[in-house]
Order: sequence, then C-alpha cells, then structure tokens
Amino acid sequence: MNATLKNIDHSALQVSQIAIVVLNVLAFILNLPWLAGIVAVVMVLGTLLGVPGFGFIYRYGLKQLGWMRAHVLLDNPEPHRFAQGFGSVFMLAGTAALYLGAPGLGWALVWLVAALAALNAFAGFCVGCFVYYWLARLRVPGFTKNPPEDTFPGMRPTTSPAPGRK
Amino acid sequence: MHDVIVFRFLWAAAIIAAGIILFNLANRWILSRAGRQPVLAGLARAGIPTLLYFTTPTCAPCKTIQRPAIDRLKELAGDRLQVVEIDAASQPEIARQWGVLSVPTTFILDAQGHPRHVNHGVTPVDKLLKEFEEFGDFSI
Repeated sequence: MNATLKNIDHSALQVSQIAIVVLNVLAFILNLPWLAGIVAVVMVLGTLLGVPGFGFIYRYGLKQLGWMRAHVLLDNPEPHRFAQGFGSVFMLAGTAALYLGAPGLGWALVWLVAALAALNAFAGFCVGCFVYYWLARLRVPGFTKNPPEDTFPGMRPTTSPAPGRK
Repeated sequence: MHDVIVFRFLWAAAIIAAGIILFNLANRWILSRAGRQPVLAGLARAGIPTLLYFTTPTCAPCKTIQRPAIDRLKELAGDRLQVVEIDAASQPEIARQWGVLSVPTTFILDAQGHPRHVNHGVTPVDKLLKEFEEFGDFSI
C-alpha cells in the first residue's frame, strides 16, 4: 500500500467538475465570456488553495442538505491539483481569446475543458492526472507521485481508507 | 438575440451528442477488441451467456455494491447465466487484453462468447438484467 496516499473526497471533485461543465456550456449558449472568466478564476483559486474550485457547492450545499454523501478514496491530491491548474490555464487562455476577438479559439478551449471535466465526472478518467503520472514516470522534477495500487494512471481509484484512518 | 441563443443551444446539443457518440464508439471498440481475446477458454462453459466480472481485493465498491448486485443477479437468473470473476490485480495480463482500466468492470457475453456490453464502474442489477435480456429470455 502506498503510504503517501491521502483521503480524498471524490464527491467534491465530481461536483466541481459537473459545475465546470454546466457553467462552460451555459457561457457558450448565452455567449457570456465573463462567465468563462469566472470559471477560470475559481479554478485558479482552487488550485492555489489546494481544493476543488467548485467544491464549496458540495461542502456547503449538497452535503449539508444531505443530497450527496462523501465518497472518500485513497488517492494522491497532487495530480488533481495539477489537472485543475492545467484546466485553469486553458480556461484563462480561452477567456483571453474571447476578449481579444478570437471567439473560435476561445470557445474551443472552453469546450475542451468542459469535455475533459465531463470525462472525469462521468467516466472517472482524469486526463490531467494521467499527464501528471506520465511526467512522474519520465522523472520530471516536481512530479513524484505514482498512481494508487491496481489503478491505471488517471483512472479513479477504488480503495477506501480503512476505518479510523486519517 | 433569441435566435442566436437557439442557434448556440443547437450547437451545444450537437457537440454534446458528438461526445456521447464518441464515448459509445470507444466502448464498441473495447468490445470488438475484447471479442478477439481467447482468454475465456477453460474459464467459462460454452453455450451459456456469461457475466465477466473484473475486480480486485482492495476494491471497496466491488465488495459493498457490485458483489451484492451480482449475487442478486445469480439468484434471479439461476442457471441461465454464469459469472466468471477475474482478479485484475493477480491477472493483469487478462485485464489488459480486455482493456480494463478500472474496477469493477463487467462484460456481458452472449452464449457464443461474443462480448455484447461493457460497463465501467458499479452497475446495478436491473441494468445487468436488461443487457442479458437483449439476447435471451431473462424475464423474472
């Protein structure tokens, strides 16, 4: 068992990803570049604070109301932070492109982030985490974690923490 | 203004539909790739539909949700289907051949051993039954 794994609530990650998908699609349909900008800023803040950007919707809303339960799994937080940071760079670039008069490129980047967030939320595959683990495999400095045991790099792990483990 | 929103909504719907189609095509590719693997020889009896269930000893949702669902399926269907369980941790080669990236993953095979459905993640008993019903009488 990898001793560095932490308890990660995947419900918070999933809600954040679904929020990104919904807001990005809404931004496109209603042609609201500022909404894409807000998504980008929230993702940047989440990356800096080490939490899922829209995880607050789960933590202070859905979980409190009892509409969702925690889904705690043993996982590495670093790849998720990297994935969110990676996504936020694309969102910032997309927003900048929208404001600089390149709507095709801007919306393409916004849709790319939405698609990758949807893949993570609904199919359990985190492309950013996959990239992180590949960089770790190539021994790129700063990328040190390996995927949890029995888990394909980037796929959602399946092991829950033992009772009482913090 | 209204027309523009409708137009963009249709674009969004088309992009989402394309994503879903792409996802389904990827699943079909996994099935066709799995269908070329002769790895079930000796593991499953011929002539009976099979549920091929990939799991690992450390998989929590396998134990708490998927295993009870499969036990219930066996209760309901009796001898009309067989379950072949494969530990993806101790037999990674088979898991790789079948394109299994996470557990639980379940494949539904018809009586001829051809993979017909793949389910990534926990799958409820109702869905498994529905998938079997497509090529046999599994009415309960």
